[in-house]
Amino acid sequence: MIEWSEQHLMIRDAMRRFVEAEIKPRLEELEHGDTPPYDVLRKMMRTFGLDEMARLRFAKRIAREKAVEAARARGEDVPVEPAHEADGATDGGAGMQLIPIIELCRYCPGMVTAMGVSVGLTANAILSKGTIAQKERWALDLFTLEKIGAWAITEPGSGSDAFGGMKATARRDGDGYVLNGQKTFITNGPYADTIVFICKLDEGNDPKERKVLTFVLERGTPGLTQSKPMRKMGLHSSPTGELFLDDVRVGRDHLLGETEDGPARSGAKATFTMERTGVAAMALGIVEQCRERSIDYARTRVQFGRPIGEFQLIQLKLAKMEVARMNLQNLVFRLIEMAAAGKSMELAEASACKLYAAQAAMEVALEAVQLFGGNGYMAEFQVEQLARDAKVLQIYAGTDEIQVSQIARSLLAG
Amino acid sequence: MKILATVKRVPDPETSIKVKPDGSGIVTDNVKWVINPFDEIAIEEALRIKEKVAGSEVVLVSIGGNAAPNDVKEQLRTGLAMGADGAILVVTDAALEPLVVARALAKLVETEKPDLVVMGKQAIDDDSNAAGQMLAELLGWPQATFASKVELSGDQKSATVIREVDGGLETLRFPLPGIVTADLRLNEPRYASLPGIMKARKKELKEIPIGDLEKAGLDVSGRTQLVKMEPPPKRQAGKLVESVDQLVELLHTEAKVI
Ligand SMILES: Cc1cc2nc3c(=O)[nH]c(=O)nc-3n(C[C@H](O)[C@H](O)[C@H](O)COP(=O)(O)OP(=O)(O)OC[C@H]3O[C@@H](n4cnc5c(N)ncnc54)[C@H](O)[C@@H]3O)c2cc1C
Repeated sequence: MIEWSEQHLMIRDAMRRFVEAEIKPRLEELEHGDTPPYDVLRKMMRTFGLDEMARLRFAKRIAREKAVEAARARGEDVPVEPAHEADGATDGGAGMQLIPIIELCRYCPGMVTAMGVSVGLTANAILSKGTIAQKERWALDLFTLEKIGAWAITEPGSGSDAFGGMKATARRDGDGYVLNGQKTFITNGPYADTIVFICKLDEGNDPKERKVLTFVLERGTPGLTQSKPMRKMGLHSSPTGELFLDDVRVGRDHLLGETEDGPARSGAKATFTMERTGVAAMALGIVEQCRERSIDYARTRVQFGRPIGEFQLIQLKLAKMEVARMNLQNLVFRLIEMAAAGKSMELAEASACKLYAAQAAMEVALEAVQLFGGNGYMAEFQVEQLARDAKVLQIYAGTDEIQVSQIARSLLAG
Repeated sequence: MKILATVKRVPDPETSIKVKPDGSGIVTDNVKWVINPFDEIAIEEALRIKEKVAGSEVVLVSIGGNAAPNDVKEQLRTGLAMGADGAILVVTDAALEPLVVARALAKLVETEKPDLVVMGKQAIDDDSNAAGQMLAELLGWPQATFASKVELSGDQKSATVIREVDGGLETLRFPLPGIVTADLRLNEPRYASLPGIMKARKKELKEIPIGDLEKAGLDVSGRTQLVKMEPPPKRQAGKLVESVDQLVELLHTEAKVI
């Protein structure tokens, strides 16, 4: 793939119009207030038929899984169809998912975060690890955004080393479990209807040897407290909060997979890869917007009797923005091509992708603030918001430092 | 019921337009092209009728180029992605005046035999506001221009249209087939959905060289000629006045509007 196809451009134009009509006029309340993003996101889903597509895809997948299960019950040996073949090809490929991310990120990277965590992390965690009954109970409503999901691993004492320092526990209690612990920085935490909660099984053994279990919690369960949105540097259209679990009792039907012996961290790699590659599309949206705004400003802002675009130091900024845009777009093209070929990136490549994308977005957004001078520091010109938002790309989904160490580990492994 | 909806490719109303130095037209480099906004409303209305009347079909018709940089197929595919069933493009690179457009559309009406033609009240590029009226005249069909509401009778034999006229609303009823031209408040066009965009690829987009219509009797000779285009004069800076009296005085002596 060397350029966007006509279909891609059509999706982009439709999305861009939607964003300009529905989001841009509400930027103030979404990015400088506490208005949750969900109504706008649901409207987007409905407007573009994304909810209907999600329903169809889900129905197909469940039908297939049920057929496989029935065949196994009859003692037949059925090969499991690779998920991407069944899911990707029919609905226009990865471009269909990545283009909305890019377009939303021109104004609200937070919205992509809120949507990505609900659909990408939470629903997919249930889809990859849950029983068929659990998928039907929780995943579909998350895929259509009828329900909002949160995915909770980070704790006050464990971030980058998420499993090592994890204190949240599950204790067996009759047929079910009692859950305790505290989670923090949880996207959608304040509003989530369905929460994927990751903790360790406490059998009185050494915490390092404990099994990792994943539970699904519903809003309103006794003992579960969801905090108000936390104050933060940026990304205001994505509510972030804390979760407190105080002797939360759940049945075994809330344990994902309904077994303690499932491969505990299975799907984690695929999840990390998806999260990290999504950041490339987010970065592209931020960079495109900063670049366009900066070009306009460089053309029209006059100092010393000339448009500032005539100064070489300003030209250098614009040229670097263009280089970043080209690189990010090429990364996105590669992602689309790989998905079309039924491949997904190795974790190390996804890490490299994320490291570059996050840094490029941060650098471009800060340069845009600089290019705008005092106006760059003012909210009216929007680049300050994108700069505050871009910073999070270097922190969540694995910090820059963690990406570096994972890339290096893979380089040195051979 | 069969509905034709017309599509013209025009510069995005959001783009800033520059006139060529020689006054022969506008600079088209870097212009983003879209469906004429009033045509988009016409397509939406056609689709809403189709959704109400089972078994209906919406066919888009356009006249224009079929290759970059003037490829109307882009706009037709967008219309197909909104939900139209098929599209016809009369291929020509010439800029046609409203009468020739109306004649070409009349030829298409002869072969397509629609029950209703929905058009934009005007195209936002040259704002002629004429093709719909002329088409009705050529066909001898009833017309309702500047529609803000369209309703079909239960038997789909007639249409009731509310029109926006100076000083109020006018309600017309006429037997079908007929012509309706859409005003701004008729509806709010939908976005092309993602499944719609996927399906659009497989829908038929028929191209007819304008020569074929000429062989069938289409007269492409025009009566008007574009002499010169000029940008509007630059806006003068505003002036703050001290009092109402001074304002009235200046409106009289300087602006000469009262
Ligand atoms: C807006 C936002 C939303 C989030 N949403 C979620 C969510 O939905 N669910 C969820 O579970 N979590 C979420 N997080 C948490 C996020 O994943 C963590 O913040 C991130 O993993 C880093 O962990 P930490 O904050 O504890 O930092 P720490 O791990 O304490 O890191 C502190 C610093 O030390 C560095 N460091 C740590 N280890 C190493 C090492 N081995 N080598 C070199 N340097 C190292 C880090 O790179 C960093 O610079 C979110 C965070 C933010 C900011």
